[in-house]
Amino acid sequence: METFKILQNYFQQLPIELKLVWVLSAVLTVLAIIFTVYLKFLRNTLREKDVLSVKYQHKYESELLSYLFEESDEGELSNSQNEFIKTIQSKCDNKFKRKIIVETLLKLKNEVSGEIEIAIQNLYLKSNLKEHAYQQLKSKNWCIVANGIKELAQFKVKEAYPEVKKLIKYPKKEVRKEVELYLVSLFHFEGLDFLNNLKINLSEWDQIELLEELKNFDNQEIPDITLWLNSKNDSVVSFSLKLAKIYNKYETVETLLELLNHKNQKIRIQVIDVLTHLQVLDAKEILKNNFKKSSEEEQIAIFKMLENIYEPNDEAFIVENSTHKNFEIQYLALKILKSINEKTFNKLASESNYYNNNVVLKFVQNN
Amino acid sequence: MNTTTINIIIQIIHYLFFTYAFLAIFSYIFLSLISASETIDYFKKNSFVNYKKILSSNIAPSISIIAPAYNENLNIVDNVRSLLSNHYANYDVIIVNDGSKDNSLELLIKAYDLVKTNYLINPQLKTQPLRKGVFKSTNPAFEKLIVVDKENGGKADALNMGLNISNSKYVACIDVDCLLLEDALQKMVKPFLEATKKKVVATGGVIRIANNSIIKDGKLMKINLPKKLIERAQILEYLRSFLLGRMAWSRLNGLLVISGAFGMFDKKIAIDIGGYDTSTVGEDMEIIVRMRRQLEEQNVNYKVAYIPDPLCWTEAPDNYKIFISQRNRWTRGTIEVLRKHRKIAFNYKYRNLGLLSYPYWLIFERFAPVIEVIGIIYFGILIALREVKWDYALAFFILAYLFTFLLSLGAIYSEELTYHQYKKKKTGFKLILISLLEPFILHPFILYAAVRGNLDYFFNKKKKWGKMTRKGMGNINK
Repeated sequence: METFKILQNYFQQLPIELKLVWVLSAVLTVLAIIFTVYLKFLRNTLREKDVLSVKYQHKYESELLSYLFEESDEGELSNSQNEFIKTIQSKCDNKFKRKIIVETLLKLKNEVSGEIEIAIQNLYLKSNLKEHAYQQLKSKNWCIVANGIKELAQFKVKEAYPEVKKLIKYPKKEVRKEVELYLVSLFHFEGLDFLNNLKINLSEWDQIELLEELKNFDNQEIPDITLWLNSKNDSVVSFSLKLAKIYNKYETVETLLELLNHKNQKIRIQVIDVLTHLQVLDAKEILKNNFKKSSEEEQIAIFKMLENIYEPNDEAFIVENSTHKNFEIQYLALKILKSINEKTFNKLASESNYYNNNVVLKFVQNN
Repeated sequence: MNTTTINIIIQIIHYLFFTYAFLAIFSYIFLSLISASETIDYFKKNSFVNYKKILSSNIAPSISIIAPAYNENLNIVDNVRSLLSNHYANYDVIIVNDGSKDNSLELLIKAYDLVKTNYLINPQLKTQPLRKGVFKSTNPAFEKLIVVDKENGGKADALNMGLNISNSKYVACIDVDCLLLEDALQKMVKPFLEATKKKVVATGGVIRIANNSIIKDGKLMKINLPKKLIERAQILEYLRSFLLGRMAWSRLNGLLVISGAFGMFDKKIAIDIGGYDTSTVGEDMEIIVRMRRQLEEQNVNYKVAYIPDPLCWTEAPDNYKIFISQRNRWTRGTIEVLRKHRKIAFNYKYRNLGLLSYPYWLIFERFAPVIEVIGIIYFGILIALREVKWDYALAFFILAYLFTFLLSLGAIYSEELTYHQYKKKKTGFKLILISLLEPFILHPFILYAAVRGNLDYFFNKKKKWGKMTRKGMGNINK
């Protein structure tokens, strides 16, 4: 008590700035103690949560397996199966348990196919899980909305289409992406119709995700993509060029040739790449004529095309560019020239002073 | 000068120190808050990412991992195995043996069935010449591997050789002694691919300390807290730096450094700006500053991204001698880079770079040790003159100490709530303990190394990298 009084008197006679420092130190000390103690609690909670999560996963997994493999009358569920559905329904309000149930269903769904997969899907529809996912779509939190869409896509709930489609212009990118994936994973190429009026850019990442999703289907009959190739949205054009390449859309060649004049250089380069893949010889002459007006990146793309579809009548053009200042173009030109006409290549190599000590020439000569 | 004038001067000095300390504290709080917000945002967004799709996609962009190696025979075979086991469809691994005097090359040749091959190198960046040449494996299992043996030219020179060799769109430059997690490339390439408004030119990742962790066949099996205090203190320091510092600078688009241990670049841009600078020991910071400087001058809308996932694990110095040598080099690197690009400082034409990032680095990184040393000397003079007001000194010391402790706690919380890597019981207590000790067991050595770095920079120009002896990650604890 005496010490406290001494401290109190000492504190009272201190100048204001020093008082402030001590008050601040006291506050920080209290915070430090609280955070130190809470850290122990937090670490324990995280550990317990991990343990609990594994425990419930095992529990639900074995119950689910019993449900799936239980013998029952044709089309009718047994009492224990109905009991299991009721159990799931009752757990749906608990966020933690619901998350584990959904994860367990998904895990098994991804491991099986056929009737069992359909049974898991039916279980999802019969329990309250689907209703919860619908509820999530109405949330004001983008994260919950995106999660709801993702879940509906994973369990192939096609009936949610009107609700999900409404969200295609959602302000948050992540939600829009989930909508796109929902549409494509459930409605395949037809789901791509959101591209018709897409104003926002599709990132390269989104495009890869969509293309990978499309690969999963048996029916690889792709609809007409001309509308998307002519889109004002460059990312849609880029995406449809990828479609043209992957699905060998020869019928789009005319549109592709028009796209060689696109205002965006990246698109022009991508078009050359697609035309190379489709081996469109007509494109070669157009590109050769425009070669000097093209950017260096386009010129490289043109030579990559020639590397794939060169013909003897390209020789003059190749020779003309065999001393190009760009390393890659020079290499490709010499390589193609050697393949088209080795005599001309050797003659050029021995005559021209330009090639003296040239690493590119030596490399092409030796390989 | 009369007594009043001296008193006024002393008062001014006090206020200058006070203002500096206040601004430093304020900046740390500000950056921590931004980091917290950015981390939460990252986690929310990342929960919807399906990395498996990019993993299997054959249209995913190509990446070259470039790893310079100099006398790394202790670990090189295992480390290359770790690099080759990355989960990504379209990548290769370029090991640049930078004139090693040991048997690194022979070990690689034997382990990976390498044979010399004809390889056309586009000499876009000037480097030291090849020594024994370029090697590729005859074994299809190692078809992604390219080993280049060249004359010694330093790390930057070796990285430039890697840039010349690479045919990929992106390059991941890493230290060969680092251990990459299998999903590292998928995660690092994502910022480049998801950007639609700004062009992402580089991505940096978190570096974590693997001392005492269990590593088998180039894979991280179990994460342990190291036993030595110096190693533990560095873990805390890295957590603070990466989780609280760089995350915030990423949000502010003001990152000035991507750790040389692991960073990814748009190769075309890296080459267009001239590659790595071979004349500095801070080549990792220099390339980012130069990149940003040139892009600002060209008015390009760009971003240097950063991801907080613990993807790259490295060996930290386990003794003070090596630690001081490392920090000495970092200090010299920072001085060299900031001096070289001083045009940026407080220059509004460089926007955030000139008005925020550069000034922050100059004032709170470059000058911090200098100011601290001046403060200590000044305090010593005051003691000698019996002018110290001990009640003030004690109060401010306690306040500074508590703040440092709380900041470290913030970093620990950030780790626990995100990646929770140190799961073992009692680790929390050990981390708290090290937070309390770190100002005494690590900070004085950082300060000493920084002072030595300053002196070496100005008076010992010949000093370059200094020696970094490694035990090898599998052997750290032996």
